[in-house]
Amino acid sequence: MRKLLLCLAALLAGGTAAAQHQHGKPGAGAPEPFTATPAFGADDTLWLVRPMVDRIVVTHSRDLGKTFSQPVVVTPEPMNLDWGPDARARIAVDDKGGLVVTFGTFQDKNFNGRAYFARSTDNGASFTRPRPITADTTSQRFEVAGVDPSGRVFAAWLDKRNIASARAAGRAYPGAALAYAWEDGEADFGNTAIALDNTCECCRIGLAFAGAGRPALVFRNIFPGSVRDHAVITFQDEKTPGQVRRVSVDDWKIEACPHHGPSLAIAPDGSYHVAWFTDGAARKGVFYARADSADAPFSVPRALSKPDRQPGRPYLLASGAALHLVWKEFDGTKAVVRWQVSHDSGRQWTDARTVADTEDASDHPILVADRQRVYLSWLTKIEGYRLIALEDQP
Amino acid sequence: MRLAILLALLLGLASLTGAEAAGPLAFERGSWAKLRAEHAGQPTVVHFWGLTCGPCLVELPQWGKLQAERSDLRLVLIAADPLPQEPERVVATLTQAGLGDSESFSFTDSFYERLRYEIDPTWAGELPRTVMIDSDGKATVLPGVADLAQVRAWLDAQPKPHP
Repeated sequence: MRKLLLCLAALLAGGTAAAQHQHGKPGAGAPEPFTATPAFGADDTLWLVRPMVDRIVVTHSRDLGKTFSQPVVVTPEPMNLDWGPDARARIAVDDKGGLVVTFGTFQDKNFNGRAYFARSTDNGASFTRPRPITADTTSQRFEVAGVDPSGRVFAAWLDKRNIASARAAGRAYPGAALAYAWEDGEADFGNTAIALDNTCECCRIGLAFAGAGRPALVFRNIFPGSVRDHAVITFQDEKTPGQVRRVSVDDWKIEACPHHGPSLAIAPDGSYHVAWFTDGAARKGVFYARADSADAPFSVPRALSKPDRQPGRPYLLASGAALHLVWKEFDGTKAVVRWQVSHDSGRQWTDARTVADTEDASDHPILVADRQRVYLSWLTKIEGYRLIALEDQP
Repeated sequence: MRLAILLALLLGLASLTGAEAAGPLAFERGSWAKLRAEHAGQPTVVHFWGLTCGPCLVELPQWGKLQAERSDLRLVLIAADPLPQEPERVVATLTQAGLGDSESFSFTDSFYERLRYEIDPTWAGELPRTVMIDSDGKATVLPGVADLAQVRAWLDAQPKPHP
């Protein structure tokens, strides 16, 4: 056990795990997930969840990422973790300080997945044995969980359960379904429901809350003609997904999987903010748009970068009255994280600034806030994990 | 020395099983420039595909057929998955598609932004993708699943080497 902990500690320092293959993986040389996902607790403890070859571990830091606790293993047995470029183990902190970890595994070589969750009610000292989020075994991927303003945990994911029935009825079924469930007590998720059929099947989903019982999801949808542009759904209540609202007509006709999902933030004034990647006929690159409310149309998309800088992986966070936006681009030598902030509900933004860079592989940039400020959370191969405070200048 | 013998034995065994022992070449920083230099002056078709790309796997056997049909097709295959894949699976997939003998590379660097940038700064990684490069170095890009009639027409238009 001590050896395992030492290995994990070494891995957390930034190394990859090519030499550490154990069970649960198809074989040496198989791809491995490289992500670190943060969440702050109400006491400003930073929680971090990371896949380590074939296990999920959680660590925490009480000094803003300078030092981390010993990792706690969430998965007692090795698992074949989803290493897709948009897949991510995640962690959420509920209003009682409980932790919810979600992650995905591959069931086979055709990328059918299984989404799991585990809970901790002892401040991260231990986790319940991971259990599938849903009883259906067909395929779930890109799970995301969040705590709504009333303290209930909501989860959404892309689910392929409806493919078999469609095929049996002789109908084609492109993509997957946007599925969701609410936590039922603290022990389990309740029944799964389908919010929408035929969404794109391999991009992350963005989640925010418009109010208690009112999650809002942004996702890459499949519009007629296999056009894979973005849409938002806001729940009217816990069980009633609202209308599909298209964010932008990018006209990206593609029969494939871009592995490149969007990000959503809802500001205290009720305005919606979306950032996304597209390679459409109408526009290419990373874009941002806002809407005054859940029902208002989205603004004309604003380009965040140039298409010849490999822009991607945008992330939005509303913190108090400020909106923060980061994305990744490549300057010919380095991958850089660019940052903008807005103090007028996304109408005007500061000039983009580079807040971090690296000269090798990197995870997507993520924004996270404690009670004082907003931070960039970024895992890179060379530097390891970094939590970088963002100066919030109007 | 003993290691060398062991390796030779292992390689011998691998070739006995029928799989191509060579495997894909490592595609890393600088590989694109090297590839372009090695193929300079020769019309070449570079096909980017991936094990994680469903449409690519459907398309690949069509390239196998085209390769068998056209001796004038200089084809280079590059597996451009954002995360490096197991070489055995790359080889097995190509062999099954009738492309086991083609020049083949596989991304071995997970800093994929850099590899893509070297190939084409505006390429966001969409697969499949085909780049036809003529003897003057002029590149024609076919994004998505390639229309092989277009590839044949391009091949027909290339100057033939003198006998």
